[in-house]
Amino acid sequence: MIIRKMLFASVATVCITASFSAMADTAGKKIALSNNYAGNSWRQAMLTSWDKITKDAVAKGVVAAADPFTTAENQATEQAAQIQNLILQGYDAIVVNAASPTALNGAIKEACDAGITVVSFDGIVTEPCAWRIAVDFKAMGESQIEYLTKKLPKGGNLLEIRGLAGVSVDDEIHAGIQAGVQKNPQFKIVGSVNGDWAQDVAQRAVAGILPSLPEIAAVVTQGGDGYGAAQAFAAAKRPTPTIVMGNREDELVWWKQQKDKNSYETMSVSIAPGVSTLAFWVAQQILDGKEVKKDLVVPFLRIDQDNLEANLAKTQKGGVANVEYSLEDAQKVISAAK
Amino acid sequence: MNAHRLLLAKPWIWSFAATASVWIITVLFTGGASSLGLSQAALTFAAFSVIVGIGQMFVITLGPGNIDLSVPATMTLSGTLALKLMDVQDSMILVGLVLSILLGAIIGLGNYALIKLLKIPPIIATLSMSFIVQSTAIWTNRGLRIKPPETLASFTTSSLFGIPNVALVALILSAVAWLLLEKTIYGRWISAIGQSTFAARMAGVPVDGTRLVTYMLCAVLASVGGYLLASFSGGAALNMGAEYLLMSIAVVVIGGTAVAGGNSNIPGIWGASLFMFLVVSMLNTYGFGAGFRLILTGLIIIAVILVAGGRRSTR
Repeated sequence: MIIRKMLFASVATVCITASFSAMADTAGKKIALSNNYAGNSWRQAMLTSWDKITKDAVAKGVVAAADPFTTAENQATEQAAQIQNLILQGYDAIVVNAASPTALNGAIKEACDAGITVVSFDGIVTEPCAWRIAVDFKAMGESQIEYLTKKLPKGGNLLEIRGLAGVSVDDEIHAGIQAGVQKNPQFKIVGSVNGDWAQDVAQRAVAGILPSLPEIAAVVTQGGDGYGAAQAFAAAKRPTPTIVMGNREDELVWWKQQKDKNSYETMSVSIAPGVSTLAFWVAQQILDGKEVKKDLVVPFLRIDQDNLEANLAKTQKGGVANVEYSLEDAQKVISAAK
Repeated sequence: MNAHRLLLAKPWIWSFAATASVWIITVLFTGGASSLGLSQAALTFAAFSVIVGIGQMFVITLGPGNIDLSVPATMTLSGTLALKLMDVQDSMILVGLVLSILLGAIIGLGNYALIKLLKIPPIIATLSMSFIVQSTAIWTNRGLRIKPPETLASFTTSSLFGIPNVALVALILSAVAWLLLEKTIYGRWISAIGQSTFAARMAGVPVDGTRLVTYMLCAVLASVGGYLLASFSGGAALNMGAEYLLMSIAVVVIGGTAVAGGNSNIPGIWGASLFMFLVVSMLNTYGFGAGFRLILTGLIIIAVILVAGGRRSTR
C-alpha cells in the first residue's frame, strides 16, 4: 500500500514538475548524512552506496535532497560542530555515523529539539531521542566460534585478531568470541593481537607473534584483517589455519584460490557498507510519519563455502562485499522490530 | 673511562642494547625455538620504519621546528598511484617506481614552498599538505585495492640468504644516507643549519637550497616506503601510512638523533626500528591486553630515551 503510494508520488513528481508534494509526504524533505571518517575502503564503499541510492531517490522525487558530509579529522568535536551547521541549514533529518557513542549527544539533542529526525547507524549514539540502527557485533563474534565448532569438532588453538583498541565495536566482537570459547572449551585462545581492521597492521602484528605460537587451528578476526594474517602465515612457512574472513575482495579472492587448490574451507562475515542506505530509508520512513522503534537491528552479511563465487562475482574489484538496501528492506527491518 | 667515552660517542648503542634485551626476552618464551622466525619478521617490518625514519631524520636534523607530518599521506598516495599505474603488469614495475619518486619530489617541493613562500611553520605546512595528498589518494581510487605486479610482490616478500629483500633495500638506502651525511658537503650543511641557521647563513651555506632538498628527500623516501609497503602487503589501503607518522618520529628520537637538530644518527634508526617492532611482539607474546600493552610501550620508550639522552647530556 505504502509502496504504491510512494510509486505514485514518485511518478507524479517526476512527470508534473508543478508542486505536487501533497501526495508524497517526504518530497520536500531534506536529509543529510553526517559521516566522521572516510579514510578506508569500507567507508568509501559506504559513501558510494549512499550516493547511488540517494541520487536515484532524489531524481524520483522521494526526497528533495540527500547530501553527504564528511569531517576531515575523525574527531567528535568536529562532528558536533558539523551537526550544528546541519541544524542551521534546515535539514529535516540527519543520518549519522558517529565518531563517539556519547560525545555527540549534546549536538544530537539540539537537533532533536529543533524538530530534526536523527538516525544513527554503524557508529551509533546513546542520546535517547535518536534512532539507532545497530549491528549485533557480539553475535557476529559468537557466530565465528559456532562455525568453527562444526568445522573443527576436535577444537584447537585459536589466534584472535582484534580491531582498534578502545573502540566499542572491538570490545563487542571480542566479548562474543570469548563467550563462544567459554561455551566450547575445546578451543583455546593462545594469542591475541590488534590488527586495527587493516591488512598491513594485521600482517605486521601476526608476523611478530607467530614465531612464539604453537600450532594454530584457526584465526578469528574482525574484518579487514584476514588477508594480512594469511600472508603472515605464508611468510613464516606455517600451515594455513582456518582464517575467518571479513568480506574484502582480496580476502575472497585468496579464499577462492585456496578453495580451488586444496578445497580450503572457511567463512566470511562483516557488515555491508550499504547499511548507510538502510539508514537513509529508515529516516525517510520516519519523516513520512511511520511509527518506527528507536532500536533497529541490521543483519550482518555472511558468505559461506557454497555462495562464495556468487558473492565474489558481485563484489567490486578491490572493494568490499556489499548490499544496498531498498525501501522494502527498510520496511521489513522496521516491522521486524515491532 | 674509555668504555664510557665510547658510549658517549655512540648514542645508538642504547637502542641496540634495548633491542637485544627485548629480543632475548621474547625468544625465551619459547625456549629459543622462535629466534629465526622472529628475527626475520623483525628485519622485514623494521625495514619500512627505517626507510621513512631516515627521511624524517634528515628533516629533524635541520633544527628546531622542522618536521614532516605529511609522511603517512605521501606513503598512501604513492602506493595507491603506483599500483594503479602498474595495474599488475610486470613490465611497469620501474615506471611505477619512477612515478613514486617523482611524486615524492613534488610533495617535498610543495611542502617547502608552503614553508618558505607562505612563511607557514613546517608543522602546519606539512599537515595541510598531508590533507591535500590524502584527499588526492582517496579521490584517485576510492579505497579500492589493486594488487601489485606478481614479480614485485614476490620480490618484496622473499629473502636472500635468509635476509628479507626489503631489509636489504633499507640497508642500501641507509648506506647511501650515511655517505650523504658523513662524506658529502650536503651532510655538513644540514648539520650546520641544525646547529645554528644564522651562523650557517653567515658562513655561506645555501640554507634554502639545502632545506628544500632535505624536505624533498624525506618525501621521496616516504614515497618509496609506501611503494614497497603497498607491494609487500598485497595492495595499497587508504590508512596504510597511519602508523608511520609516530613511528618515523619515534625511531629518530629513540635512535639517538638530537631532537633539537644538528646531530643525526643512522645506525640508531635501525636499532630503534627493530626495537619498536620487537616491543609490540614481546608484549603480544606474553599476552598483555591492548590497554596495558600501550601503557608499557609508552613507558619503555620513555625509559630508553631517558637512559640514552641522560648519558649524553653529561657530555
